[in-house]
Amino acid sequence: MRFLPLLASAIAGLVALPHAANAGPKAEKVLAEAVDTVIRPGYDRFEAASGMLEKAMKDLCASPSAEHKAAAETAFGDAVKAWGGIEFLRSGPALEKNRFERVLYYPDRKGIALKQVQAILSKKDESATTAEGLAGKSVGVQSLTALEFVLYGTGNEVLATEKDGHRCRFGAAIATNVHGVAGELAAAWNAPDGIAASWKKPGPENPVFRTDGEAVTELVGTMVHGLEMVREQRIEAFFSGTGADQPANPKLAILWRSGKTWDVLGANLQGMSDLWKKAHMETMLKDDQRSIASSIGFVLKSLTRETPKINPDIAAALASPEETAKIDFLLLNTKDAITRISDDYGAALGIGAGFSFSDGD
Amino acid sequence: MTATPLFDRRTFLKASGLAFLAGLTPRGLAAMERADALFASAYRDPEGRFGIATLTEKGDLVDRALLPDRAHGLAYNAATDQIAAFARRPGTYMMILSRRGFSSPVVIKAEDGRHFYGHGCFSPDGKRLFACENDFDAGRGIVGVYDATDAFRRIGEWETHGVGPHDLSISDDGRHLIVANGGIETHPDFGRTKLNLDRMQPSLVLLDAVDGGLVEKHPLPAHLSQLSTRHVDTDGKGRIWFACQYEGARDDRPPLAGSFAPGEDIRFLVLPDEITEALGLYVGAIAINRHEGLVGLASPKGGMAVTVEAATGKVIATTSVKDAAGIAPAPTGFAVSSYAGRFREKTLDLTFDQHIAALSPSHL
Repeated sequence: MRFLPLLASAIAGLVALPHAANAGPKAEKVLAEAVDTVIRPGYDRFEAASGMLEKAMKDLCASPSAEHKAAAETAFGDAVKAWGGIEFLRSGPALEKNRFERVLYYPDRKGIALKQVQAILSKKDESATTAEGLAGKSVGVQSLTALEFVLYGTGNEVLATEKDGHRCRFGAAIATNVHGVAGELAAAWNAPDGIAASWKKPGPENPVFRTDGEAVTELVGTMVHGLEMVREQRIEAFFSGTGADQPANPKLAILWRSGKTWDVLGANLQGMSDLWKKAHMETMLKDDQRSIASSIGFVLKSLTRETPKINPDIAAALASPEETAKIDFLLLNTKDAITRISDDYGAALGIGAGFSFSDGD
Repeated sequence: MTATPLFDRRTFLKASGLAFLAGLTPRGLAAMERADALFASAYRDPEGRFGIATLTEKGDLVDRALLPDRAHGLAYNAATDQIAAFARRPGTYMMILSRRGFSSPVVIKAEDGRHFYGHGCFSPDGKRLFACENDFDAGRGIVGVYDATDAFRRIGEWETHGVGPHDLSISDDGRHLIVANGGIETHPDFGRTKLNLDRMQPSLVLLDAVDGGLVEKHPLPAHLSQLSTRHVDTDGKGRIWFACQYEGARDDRPPLAGSFAPGEDIRFLVLPDEITEALGLYVGAIAINRHEGLVGLASPKGGMAVTVEAATGKVIATTSVKDAAGIAPAPTGFAVSSYAGRFREKTLDLTFDQHIAALSPSHL
């Protein structure tokens, strides 16, 4: 066993960090702004967009046409982007009743959900054409990824011609189901005494957060884990970087079939950038720590500017060194953002964020 | 009270051999020679590297070794003087280091479809290593069984009869594995997201350590379904102590620890409400000081370490430790570490992970 030379400082008291609770009134303001300017509007937007999607699918079924099919695809893209803008929040109501999987089931590494969707279509399973019937089935056939196959997968042409066809009604049922989940999420966050109040007013009787420090830790953890999701669970799922051992696989990219991979990933990044900016998270830093904030803001902005530049045809993008360089940029800079938020920002707030977030181990 | 050394310095020096001592710096050697007890903990250094540090009961750093990635819990094999470090969930490696320096480190990659949960233990004879693992597509807990006499070849796996097995220990006689099924479902596709907080089924399970057969299962009562049983330790009489992390409403007052003897029902430790609140409904690590009959609990959320008299359940001390991480039995009381680098009396330029292993030929 080769041990390293001793390097550690053994001076007691050398590391003396402020506690997040010391952020005080600034923390409560940040939490309130996070709820009121990002989280609640995010779920409201998703509720509205999924409502439009449900309507567009029903219109398509009732009056099939190329125009209505295009409208449904547009509504699908809008719903995907709306969800992407708030998907990073994996706590509270989104975690209950499998909601986030029922909205966007991904990944489907073994193609099980795809086979289930294809089976519903080939057998013309009527039980999958109502939201109620669908709710009893696997979450893999209930979400936007299932609807993506309906709209863009093999045989989708029938949607523009067949009135009240099985495929369209299955798609409409998915849209209705997703809209229902969106409504539950929006309602939960808009309830006067619900989770929003818990986020905004930590205290002794609060069922979610006892102190500002706990709430701020959750907020910072949300940013870090959201960026980890984009980097490790979404991008690295199909491309681990130039020179990586793991071969690239375009068909593992989220929403590759509809060409909306970068739309949803861009929305994920934009959502977190919005959280950083609109909640004014930098205000919890002391004046002499503000360079940490400007670095984070710069990296987040760079990331959100990059995704629209990448070819949405993932197979073509992965075959082009110019395009893969852009994805490398995302991998590099999401890692940088994670480190800056986790280590620099978290440590400046004194929440030990860089290491653990006390998230259950 | 007279301290009983956890660690016999002369035995260790004799056993360690010149190969190990030659790798020590003079400062580390001096620290070790003064030590009554040695500990190990996983860490991250300021450069972002991960490793294992060994420290004295005073918090002096003796040595350290690099690891491939972040580790969480450690297991010590007193028979061979090896330390196993387990990747933090959902990590996919464990690394076994020989402190004697007689063998190269062994890195074991998780089987396809499995990841480690961050904890494991050696059999008392040191011939087997057991690791908590996740069969994530099936959503079932697994104990991976490894042959420590054959380069840690994986020789089997046993069901833990629960979801999310976190900590794992073994009875002193080597007959029973003790599994804390935390009840929380995770999947690497979703990172560390807890997927089933609204339908958890935590439990404590005893398995036959020879064939993996189920000996006992103690599901938590329905009203405590969100009380994740996370960590275990055993006292000198074979009683199993466990510590929990609550996933329910923050203003509830659930029990956070308890104990049982094989064949008996679970008994929860009744802590005063103010202690439960101060712990943040969350115990990150538990340890037993057998010599003194004490139970130690540490909470990073509450920034507190609590000492309880095992026989009576009475709280006899509380200590404020910001970001309290690991806890382990010390010659007197407990050694407590922190994310901010505190280890007992010292603060080091390292960030300690959640657990401390006591390196001793036999635990108190």
